[in-house]
Amino acid sequence: MSRCGWLVLLVAAAACTENATAPGVCPTFCPSGSISIQDTIFAAIIGRDSSFTGYLQGYQSTLMTAADSPGVVDSRPFFTSQTMITRLAPKAGDTTTVPLVVDSLRLRLIVARRDKQATNLRLKLFPLPVTVDSTWDFASLDPYFTAPPVDSVSISRLLATAGTTDTAITRFWRTVCSACIDSVRVDSAGNVLLMQADSSVIVYVKLDTLEAPLSAPDSGRLGFGFRVAADSFASLSLVTEQTSQGSGAQLHWYYHYTIPDTVSTKPDSVVHADRVVSTRFDSFVFNPPSVALDSNLTVGGVPSARSLLRVALPAFLHDSIDLVRATLILVPVSPVRGVPSDSFAIEGRNVTTDLGAKSPLGTTFNSTFVHIGSADTVRIELTNLVRAWTLDTTQVTSLFLRQLPEAASYTQARFYSSRAPAFRPSLHVTYVKRFGFGAP
Amino acid sequence: MKTAVGRLGGWAVRVGVLVAVFLAAQPPNRLTAQDSQFGIKGLGTPGRWESVRARSTGGAFAPFDAFSPLTDASLADASRMSASIAGGTSWRTIEPTGAAQASLRATRFPALVIAGPLTRRIVVGGGFATYLDRTFGVMIQDTINLRGVQEPITDEITSDGAVSDLRLAAAARLHRRLALGFGFHMLTGSSRVIATRTFADSTNYRTSTARDEVAYSGTGGSASLLLDVTRDVRLAGWLRSDSRLRADIGGRQVAENNLPLTYGAGLQWRAGTQAAFAGTVMWRNWRAASPADSNSHDTFNWSVGAELGSLGTPIRFGVRGGQLPFGVGNTPSEVGYSAGLGRQFSGGRGRLDIGLERLERKGTGLTERVWTFLVGLTVRP
Repeated sequence: MSRCGWLVLLVAAAACTENATAPGVCPTFCPSGSISIQDTIFAAIIGRDSSFTGYLQGYQSTLMTAADSPGVVDSRPFFTSQTMITRLAPKAGDTTTVPLVVDSLRLRLIVARRDKQATNLRLKLFPLPVTVDSTWDFASLDPYFTAPPVDSVSISRLLATAGTTDTAITRFWRTVCSACIDSVRVDSAGNVLLMQADSSVIVYVKLDTLEAPLSAPDSGRLGFGFRVAADSFASLSLVTEQTSQGSGAQLHWYYHYTIPDTVSTKPDSVVHADRVVSTRFDSFVFNPPSVALDSNLTVGGVPSARSLLRVALPAFLHDSIDLVRATLILVPVSPVRGVPSDSFAIEGRNVTTDLGAKSPLGTTFNSTFVHIGSADTVRIELTNLVRAWTLDTTQVTSLFLRQLPEAASYTQARFYSSRAPAFRPSLHVTYVKRFGFGAP
Repeated sequence: MKTAVGRLGGWAVRVGVLVAVFLAAQPPNRLTAQDSQFGIKGLGTPGRWESVRARSTGGAFAPFDAFSPLTDASLADASRMSASIAGGTSWRTIEPTGAAQASLRATRFPALVIAGPLTRRIVVGGGFATYLDRTFGVMIQDTINLRGVQEPITDEITSDGAVSDLRLAAAARLHRRLALGFGFHMLTGSSRVIATRTFADSTNYRTSTARDEVAYSGTGGSASLLLDVTRDVRLAGWLRSDSRLRADIGGRQVAENNLPLTYGAGLQWRAGTQAAFAGTVMWRNWRAASPADSNSHDTFNWSVGAELGSLGTPIRFGVRGGQLPFGVGNTPSEVGYSAGLGRQFSGGRGRLDIGLERLERKGTGLTERVWTFLVGLTVRP
């Protein structure tokens, strides 16, 4: 190729790259316009706010809280199991049945949340009638919870126990929970603790037939209630059957039965087997109960309460500005009572249409945590939500405040509403004004 | 070598014609001449109405060059249908007082001219050139107080585009020593502008970006003459006046600015067949166009240059000086040195010009140094 050809190629290659941006030396060598930012608290644009309750009951929640803080709150979860066979036909086609003889059973519980600062954290089991359901309240269940527990498991001690080195035990529990991490911990009573990757723990409580008898009149069903105890921060949350099928409390029955030999002189054979039964009903009761709704904004509790906030967005926020941050400011009426470890999340979520209490939830949301005992102002970052409102004038500018997860705890936050002018909810908005393009 | 050049010539002629037709139909946004930080604060950086040949001589030959859009009368020398395009890549270093040095790079197509005789005495032509370059980008880092917290931010304001000058011109040789030219200019073009603010706290603050496209419009007229005082000495004079430059966003006028009156004169001396010398002076009253703007200045520019050697392979060099119209404080000044080569091919049907230019611009608070590599292609199909 000629020298001229090379020259053309060189220029073509150089033309492919461009860099026109330099550090600005302002104001001398910068455009006359500048990016202007405004920060404003709109104190009176949230109005027509109301609270509604009854969205979820305790038995519909994905978690159930066990807490015991004397004089503050006492929360007790409970469950009943599905039916368990008490007799079975030893051979296929047999019309006669033989009784099952229970050897032992294990109760599996998934502890989704616990306070890692808690010491001597224990879970006590109380037998309950198998007829317990949603109509039973704290008072009606109280006699059963004040009776001596049938068993107790120390979660703190299990956590402090060195992992077992018995390969047979380890191999067995690894097949039970292949996704579990860390060591398999077994205490002297045979209770087992497995750690999951999300720091939740699975506890297998070993029970004998006196603690958990197989009752034919009850169709093999059992009912248990739980109380938590600790030196401090006595609180934890158990996963319920509503999280997913089989994730609630489970009873693993180990039994044997005899196959009678009626046709030969061989001795009767004994068969060992096991069966897992899941939860039929689970819920929790607590005292004192959630307070009734009033003129304030209530969020959380059981049945779960939500608050609907309607925002009258100023017209100028709909155009000529670019919203970069929006924060909802809520002033608590009083600190939330409870066990300090029971902090909970409050979510602000848009509604697709404003139908009052029955407004369907949208998909834009954000949340923040509310700490027990704190009277601090609660701030929820709602940038995405309010930004969507500014860009689309057809959107409904209302949002729901709700607890996450709903109806999973006795905790309930109450905030001042627009009826309290000095402490009403407000929206803190930071926005960038439209840049003045076109002028030199 | 001759064969290779011939091949290149044939290819270049074909591609050159296609490029010329395409570019004439729709001036590209990259039509800008040469950016400068001095243009950010004002209407922009004035373009150079010069071909690569003229620019290699410091601009001194521009009034006498038919392929430089500076004067219309010079079109009278285009005896055949011809097209010429210029392109260049610039490497620019800016040295602000008390701030960090920065290096920038840009590639531009500053001018295109197509011309051809209508009759024996009248030649018509047209094309485009850059009137004002509006390409720049500034990045500003600062810390502002937001919600009681010192928040580091970064602003980036960029503009990419230019005010283009679409020209339709005619030149008439009224006498063997006198040629007159007139041109109608349509100012058009746009710049894509983006202003972005990013926050160091990207968790809580979203990046804000505003974009727009500013469209420019205006009209102008120009007149010029070429007078051959002797067989070897030629004089040129030109005058140009433009309407107000209107800037629209989305069809809504956002600004309107006066444009300057431009006038100048040039002298060319042919010292035999293998040497020619030229010089020009030009004034533009930017200050009168924007009396309220204390950052605008009237400008005076001059240039001197020479073209040596045969018509087929000339060597050119030149020097230019003058002022820039926008800048805080004193009028920014500019001095430049340039040199270049030309080569005809395909029996004179095409010409490739290359040039190298070194510019130094100085103003209050800033020194700017630019190297520009220029390539020009002229074809006579």
